[in-house]
Order: sequence, then C-alpha cells, then structure tokens
Amino acid sequence: MAARGHVQDPNDRRLRPIYDYLDNGNNKMAIQQADKLLKKHKDLHCAKVLKAIGLQRTAKQDEAFTLAQEVAVLEPTDDNSLQALTILYREMHRPELVTKLYEAAVRKVPTSEEYHSHLFMAYARVGEYKKMQQAGMALYKIVPKNPYYFWSVMSLVMQAISAQDEKLSQTMFLPLAERMVEKMVKEEKIEAEAEVQLYFMILERLGKYVEALEVVQGPLGEKLTSELQSRENKCMMLYRRLERWAECNALSCKLLLKNPDDWQFYLLYFDSLFHLIDQSWTPPQEGTHSAEGEVHASISQALSFMEDRIATEEAKESKHLRGPYLARLELIRRLRERSCPEAQQLGEPLELMFQFFVKFGDKPCCITDLKIFLDLLTPDQHVQFINRLMEAVPLGAPGEDGVAFPGDTRALQRHLCVTQLSRSLGQQHALNTQGKLGLIKELKAHYRHGLQFGKSCLKTELQFSDMYCLMAAHVYIDLWLETSELNMLWQSLGLLEEGLSHSSSNAQFKLLLLLLYCRLGAFEPVVDLYSSLDAKHVQHDTIGYLLTRYAESLGQFAAASQSCNFSLRFFHSNQKDTSEYVIQAYKYGAFEKIPEFIAFRNRLDHSLHFAQVRTERMLLDLFLEADISSPLEESVKSMSLCPEEDDILWDSLRDNRDLTVLVSWNPKDRQLNAEHKQRSLEDDTLWLRLRSLTLRLIGCVSALTHPPASRNSEKRTENGVAAKPSSLRSLLSQLESTLNQATQFTEKQLQVRTALSSGCCQCQLSSLQLPLHLQELEAAGLGSLLHTSLYILEKCKGDPLEVKDSQSTTQHFLLENLVYFVETVCIVLWVSNYCVSVLRPLKSSLQKKKKKKKEARNVDQSFSLQSLLNQALEHIKSQEISLTALKLGALSLEGQTQSEAEGTFTKMAMDKVQSSYLRSLQEIGELLKKRADTLKSLKI
Amino acid sequence: MTTLRAFTCDDLFKFNNINLDPLTETYGIPFYLQYLAHWPEYFIVAEAPGGELMGYIMGKAEGSVAREEWHGHVTALSVALEFRRLGLAAKLMEMLEEISERKGGFFVDLFVRVSNQVAVKMYKQLGYSVYRTVIEYYSASNGEPDEDAYDMRKALSRDAEKKSIIPLPHPVRPEDIE
Repeated sequence: MAARGHVQDPNDRRLRPIYDYLDNGNNKMAIQQADKLLKKHKDLHCAKVLKAIGLQRTAKQDEAFTLAQEVAVLEPTDDNSLQALTILYREMHRPELVTKLYEAAVRKVPTSEEYHSHLFMAYARVGEYKKMQQAGMALYKIVPKNPYYFWSVMSLVMQAISAQDEKLSQTMFLPLAERMVEKMVKEEKIEAEAEVQLYFMILERLGKYVEALEVVQGPLGEKLTSELQSRENKCMMLYRRLERWAECNALSCKLLLKNPDDWQFYLLYFDSLFHLIDQSWTPPQEGTHSAEGEVHASISQALSFMEDRIATEEAKESKHLRGPYLARLELIRRLRERSCPEAQQLGEPLELMFQFFVKFGDKPCCITDLKIFLDLLTPDQHVQFINRLMEAVPLGAPGEDGVAFPGDTRALQRHLCVTQLSRSLGQQHALNTQGKLGLIKELKAHYRHGLQFGKSCLKTELQFSDMYCLMAAHVYIDLWLETSELNMLWQSLGLLEEGLSHSSSNAQFKLLLLLLYCRLGAFEPVVDLYSSLDAKHVQHDTIGYLLTRYAESLGQFAAASQSCNFSLRFFHSNQKDTSEYVIQAYKYGAFEKIPEFIAFRNRLDHSLHFAQVRTERMLLDLFLEADISSPLEESVKSMSLCPEEDDILWDSLRDNRDLTVLVSWNPKDRQLNAEHKQRSLEDDTLWLRLRSLTLRLIGCVSALTHPPASRNSEKRTENGVAAKPSSLRSLLSQLESTLNQATQFTEKQLQVRTALSSGCCQCQLSSLQLPLHLQELEAAGLGSLLHTSLYILEKCKGDPLEVKDSQSTTQHFLLENLVYFVETVCIVLWVSNYCVSVLRPLKSSLQKKKKKKKEARNVDQSFSLQSLLNQALEHIKSQEISLTALKLGALSLEGQTQSEAEGTFTKMAMDKVQSSYLRSLQEIGELLKKRADTLKSLKI
Repeated sequence: MTTLRAFTCDDLFKFNNINLDPLTETYGIPFYLQYLAHWPEYFIVAEAPGGELMGYIMGKAEGSVAREEWHGHVTALSVALEFRRLGLAAKLMEMLEEISERKGGFFVDLFVRVSNQVAVKMYKQLGYSVYRTVIEYYSASNGEPDEDAYDMRKALSRDAEKKSIIPLPHPVRPEDIE
C-alpha cells in the first residue's frame, strides 16, 4: 500500500501492522487490529480510515462510508489519514470526495506544496479542468517550478478540448494558453522538452502552423530530442497542413535517402510531387529549391529518383529492402490514375511483380505486399501471372498423384504464396465442385507433405505448412456455402481439428473452428478454444464478441454468464485505471497523451460490446434467477436496474470489434468491406435495442407488481423501482417500433432473424403489453398469448441433429428457438404474476358483477400454461434421449475421399457438436423445469 | 517497407495479429498506459502499407547514473508471424538503442526465456550477450515449472570499456534484480 508517511512518528509504528494486514489481503485482522488500536488511541483517525478500508474490502460499503465520513468531517491534515482516505474513496469509485478532502487540507495548510499538488491530481481524476488550472497556478505561486505552471496551461488546453463551443476554445482557452507559454518564452524560462511539446500542441490546435514551424525549427525545437526524427516528423506534418509541397517533397526525399524502406515518406513524396506538377511549380532563379533542399517537380525526376533507389538496392549483396520495389508499383498506380503515359517507362506490372516474387517470394509477407497491387493486372493477365510465378517455384518431380512438392521451407513458402495469390485473384472461387474438391486434395497433400519440415518445431511454433490446411478448410467452406452440403462443413471442421493437433498454437485454426462451431450451434467446444487463445484485457473487447455473441442464444447459460463476466470485469476496471494514468501523464509531462488517454477511456466506455454484455448479463440473471432463487423485484433491485433510465449512449456507441482477425485470401469482391461492417454494426445495435428495451420493460413489470409506495419515499427513485405506467407505455411503443424496424431489416442477419421468425419478439411484446391493458381496465386475457406460445413451441420441434440416409444434418436454429421460447415463458410468467396481483382483489367485485366467466378463464389459462410447459419439457426430454442414442460413428462420410485418420478428426468434431447440443438441451430443460415449478405457486 | 511511428492507444484495438502468439503477452491496460505516459518515445509500432500492424517495441530508461547503471530496457518486442524474417525486430532494436544513446545510457538490456532459442540467437546477432541467468523469472500457470531468463546486455558508447556487460559468474534470483 502506498500510504506510508515518510516521517518516522510513533503512530506510524502503531499503524504498521494494519497496513501489513491490508497489504496481505487479511482484511478481518486489519479491522480487529484497528479496533484494538482505537480503544487505546481514540483520536488516531487514520486507524478509523484503515478500518474503513477493511470494511470496504469485505463488502460492508455502508459501514465503511459512515466511518470514513467521521474522519472526513474533521478535515484531517495528516498524511496518513489523507492518503488512506484517497485510497478508500478510489476503491469506492467516489473520486470527487478526494477533491473535498484536499480542498479542506489546503485551506488549513495553505503553503503545503504536497497538498496543493494532491488537490491538482484529485481534480485531474474527475476532469475538473477549470479548477485544475487554478490549482496549478496556486501551486506555482507557492513553489515556482515550471511543471506546475505548465500543468495549469495544459488544464486550459483540456478546457478547450472539452468545450462544447468550438468558438470558445479558439477565442478564449487556447489563446490564453498560448499567451501563458509566450510569457515564459519571453522570459527565457522554458526548460523542458515537454514544455515545447505543449507549446506546439497549442499552436497546432489554433491552426497557427507558421508559428508552430518557427518553434520547431528555432532554438526551442532543439529541445525536441527524445523521439527519433521528432523535428522532421513535425515539420512534415506542418508542411502538409500549410500545403508547402516543395518543402514536403524535399524533406521526404531526404528521409527516403536515409531510410528507403519507410513507406509513409513514399506516399508523401508522391502526393507532393503531383501537387507541384499541378501547380506548375518551378524552382527559384537563384538559391536553393526550398528550405529543405532539392525539389522534384516533374515525372522524369521522380522516375529517375525511383530508378536510383532500386539501383541502390540491386547493388546490395543481401538484405534487400522491399520499399523501393513496392514504391515503384505505387508510382505506376498513381501515374495510371492520372493517365500519364510515363507509367510504361517503369515497366510492366506483371513483370515487376514477378521480379519482386523472385526476390521476396520466400518471405511470408510476400502475399500481403503483392495483394494490394493485384489490381494493376488486367483480368486476362491473371492466369499468365500465376503461371509466370510458378516458374520461380522450385518443385520436385510429380509423384503418383500428379502433385509436385517443394524440397525445403523456402520453396514451400514460394509455392504457398502463389497459391494464396491465386485465391486472391478469384481463381479458386471460379472452380466448379469437382475442381474445388481436386484443389482441396492437392492442398491437403501439400499440407501433410510440409509437416516433415516442422518435426523439430517447439509447441509454441507453428508448422510451416499450416496455411495450406487453413486454405483447404476455406475451400470446404466455399463448397458448403455453394451446395449447402453439411458434409463439407464436417470435413472442414475435421481438417482444422487435425491441423490443430499438429500445431497447437495456431490461433487461426482456433478462430475458424470457433466460428464454425458457433455457426453449427455448438457452443461447448468453443469455450476451450477461446480460452486456449489466452485472450486477455483489451482483447475481451476486440475479440470477445466471438464468445458472447453466441453463448446465451445457444442455450449454454453457465458459459454465457462466465464469458460476460470476463468482459465486464475488464470494462469496469478500465474506468478506474485510466484516470490514474492521466495523472501520470501530467507528472511526466506527456501532455499529448492526456487527450489520447481520455479518448481511449471513452472508446472503451462507449464500446458496443460493453453495452451488449451489460444488457445480456442482466437479462440472463433475470431469466436464470428471478422468481426462482429470489423474487423478481429483488433481482431487479440488486442490479439497480432503472427502467426509466437508458444507460446506453446510442449515438456514441463504438464498434471496437476486430473483424479482420481471421485470415482471408478472398478476392476483393468477397472481402469484408466498410459496408459490411456498417451493416453488422446496425444489426447488432438493433438487436441491442430490442434486448435493452425488453430488459427495461421487465423492470417496469416488477415495479408494477411491487409498487414502492410502502418504501421510504426518498429511496424510491434510487432503487429504480418507481416505474410509472407512463414509462411502461413509452417503452412499449419504443419496443414496438424497433420491432417493426427489425422486421423491415430484410437482410439475412442471423440473430435478429431467428428471434423474429420464431415469433418470440412479438410474443414478448404482447405479454408486456398486458399490464397496460389491465390498467386501462380493458378485458384482456392470457389466451391469445398462450396461443402464440404454443405456436413458438411448434417451431422448436424437430431434431437439432439428425441422421438420414447416412448423412447428418443439423438444425441448430431449433436450439436458438428453444432458448427464445424459454425467455418468453419467463416473461409471460412475470406478467401473469402481475395480472394475478391485480385481478385477485377484483375477484369479489367481479363475482358480484356476475363475471364468473372471466375467473373461469383464468383457471383455464393457468392449466393451459401448465400444459404448454409440460409439452415443452417432454419435447426436450425426448430430444435428449434421441440425441444420446444417435450414433454418429455409424456415418460414413463420403468414405471414398476420407482416409481413416481424417475420419477420426471429423468424427471428433461431430462428437463435440453432439455433446454440445445435449448440454444445451439439458441446460434449457433444467431452466424450464424450474419455471414450471414456479407456475405451480402462481395461483391464478 | 514499413511505416515506423509512435504507438498510440488506438493501436491496442488492432494488435491481435501480433499478440495472438503464444510467446507474446497481452498486458493489462495500466501497463501500456504507464509506458505511454512515462516513456512514449520508447514505444514504437511498425505498420504495413495495407494498415496491418507488423510489430512493436516497448521499452524504458531506468537505473542510477551514479552507479553507471542508467540504461535502456526492452520490455516487449514482437513481430507478427507474417512479417518475420524481414529484419524488422533488428530495426526496432536499433531505434531503441539510438534513443538510449541519446539519453546517455550505459547499456541496453532485456530478458528472454532460456527456451526461446530463436530470440536468443537473434539478440546475439545484434550484439547482445548473456550477462546473467535469472532463475525462475517466468512463472508458468499450467503446473509446468517456472522458467529461467537470460538477462542479455549490449554496451552503448558511453560504456567504452564495456564494463556493464561482463558476465556474472553465478545465476541470480528474481528478487535480487532491480
């Protein structure tokens, strides 16, 4: 623990054991020790705070808070108490209380540098920029150290960045910050690099690029030494902003001479070149071309510059750089775009790419390099191109099956590269079924042949030929998508399992397996696959969607719960952690990182995935627990769900998913593009909206059933159970319109579609509308609902996994339908519960009004609800039995093409799917059974 | 063919192709932010023309100047599988060494798993030598024994006599290193 005073004082000695207990996580002993100490020394405030920390850490928040406030009101000024309270408040997520603490401390000890500095940091933690500015200046007045002054300046910059009104930033905050720095410059008080950086930041944000350039190139710029090429990079950025293309060109030339492999400067060189040509730039009569030296302003100069770069590379014995060769292709592209005939002078792209392949074809990145220039080839060159490349692939003599193999890993890499390029050019997709099956056979042969090169590979290394295996799996998937023949998918899975058995660290195998199993509705194998990826921290946001997207809807509730927790833990800790590093950035003068850290924190806070797991986690908890282990209203209360409050900032949602994590060599027209990403985001957002509204409506129903009238009126809103009928009405109409929107969303988006087509969404809506009808005293019943539910159940019927004509088929959407059915049952039951509570008091009056009929109907409905659930349970039971009895081993999967060894892996994949289905059925069945039990206690 | 630039927070969302590797650790957010706040110049990323991240290096400067222990330290260096064998790691190391030279460091050091032969060999080629072995420096999670680390060093120009890299005769324990 950080809170240890540096001055040795007897209290330190007394407190030490408590600190030690807390450090070791022995909170109980810490509390006991503090109590003991407080008996002897009543006014040892710090002991109280340490006890509070112990209480906080043992989930006694209220007690902890009361105890801490006892000390806080005394406005302590001893280090120990202050620091302990700071730690406590941080753990309570109440950083604003720390500011109060130090405000009092500096009032009492106005000359303390330490307290002032703590106050500044406390403000920084909560983003009180204006107060930071003042605190910084107050600090500088007490101790005139430069950093304090610049903290204050930076706080002005932060006010500018956070200001809603851009004009205010540009006319007030930033100019003020600029003047503050100028004052120091004039007085020649600038000391550190960080101060110059900050000055630069201010000028840049003010758009004063000329002034910024003067700073960088002047004596102050000499302080910019930490970062490599710091001054050059800054100048370059400013030349671009100022459209000083001559300088931009000359500087990129210089930098490329220094490092002919730095791609960003080729791009700048070409950009500036063409700007200069467009402007008909001519060099000045006398003197140098520009402040940065010689300028290239004609195509011929550019051509000779490129030729020189390549000649330099050619002259080297080894370690050729790829930059110059690829830059030449880039220049051809740009010249062609401008219809410049000079493009031809650089050579024919096909030939140049061939030469590149000869030089770099044995590097694994060759495919990535060449891929971006494939569009320089005309479609009728594609075959010729691949054939030409094959000339530079050394292969042995063809064997019996006509396949020729590479003799070493370099040759293998070359062959692999050509194969990858061929796929990128669409040649594999153009094959017919027989052609594709032939290709798969060849790829598998290459894969297995290549394994011999990796016999001595460590567990952490991949096999050299893994990519063949992955590609064969891709071709199987192509076939599956084309023919809908499930066998193709089984074989793809089998092949990937085989690949993984030889190369247990291959993340690509795992990712594709994971995706395919999910597509088949089998979540069980996914858990192990994902955990073996060892995804951590930020990866829970970027690839966590692979896991959380499927878990719940496939009926693996325990796993779903766990995977949501992984993600949630990460997001929650982020909120606390990032603030600490904003403070660090002030301390180290990394001013440019401060807005970056804050933007980063927001990006995580507004993550779509965060909102999804938050919502799904709560829904899941309710479906699993509410009215089973504890009453619905308790569950709603414990998750502080407030139906009237929408906790999702829809307009700022950020899609942090890494959708490119899976390798693909698909041709351009089949690649994931921005439009796909956008559509996927819209789809996910729509689904989230449905789920979030459903969740809030459940909260409403709970509040209706248990109106908080009897509760302490003050607490009412805090508990979030004060839902009024009006909010129910508005949420319902939102849900209705979102559903309409979803129905119109005709694209084949899986999750929404399944849920919609099962009729669950509509049924959930109808059931949630019921309370409203009752409130309006309209006569409505559960009858139609039951009818719909029955209809949904019908949709769940069928075998998820079936063997027919020695072919297996899966209908995994049946599992999803079952899950939605169970969810709907939960909602119907909660609503029924409410209806009963409303109707029961009316019973007598109803009888008086001779409406016995209605009463009778309710009894009926209770019966039929019961029978519906029984029906569902029976269905699941019979499914379990038939699934268990299913012998997949009896299946012969295209016996002719699969060897015995291959068959083993395919069988393994099938077993995993089968076992997963069974587990899903069991989990769904268990939940349904519990729900059926609660129905009995619901006396309708 | 590479764009070398400062690593920023947004790169954390894009580095999966590098970090989904069994020998590359994905650290908690605080760890990265600490380096970005304290030693931003030491955190460099290489980007391919298509926008893919190729690899990155993360380091710091530490140690006492008075005791001639002020040095650059390589905390993490990783290159995505498909961008290996291009000399990228060497380039990133060269940059870290240059920054350390400018800061007046005496040497650059790094820790590497004894079993990671590929890396050890590469560092030797770059002029690093084993200064000492640190026993059970890497803790294993899955019941396997903890692994030893080599502490490898390369002298910078400030240590003209190369005093900082004279190998220690005996291995040390993790608690004995700073």
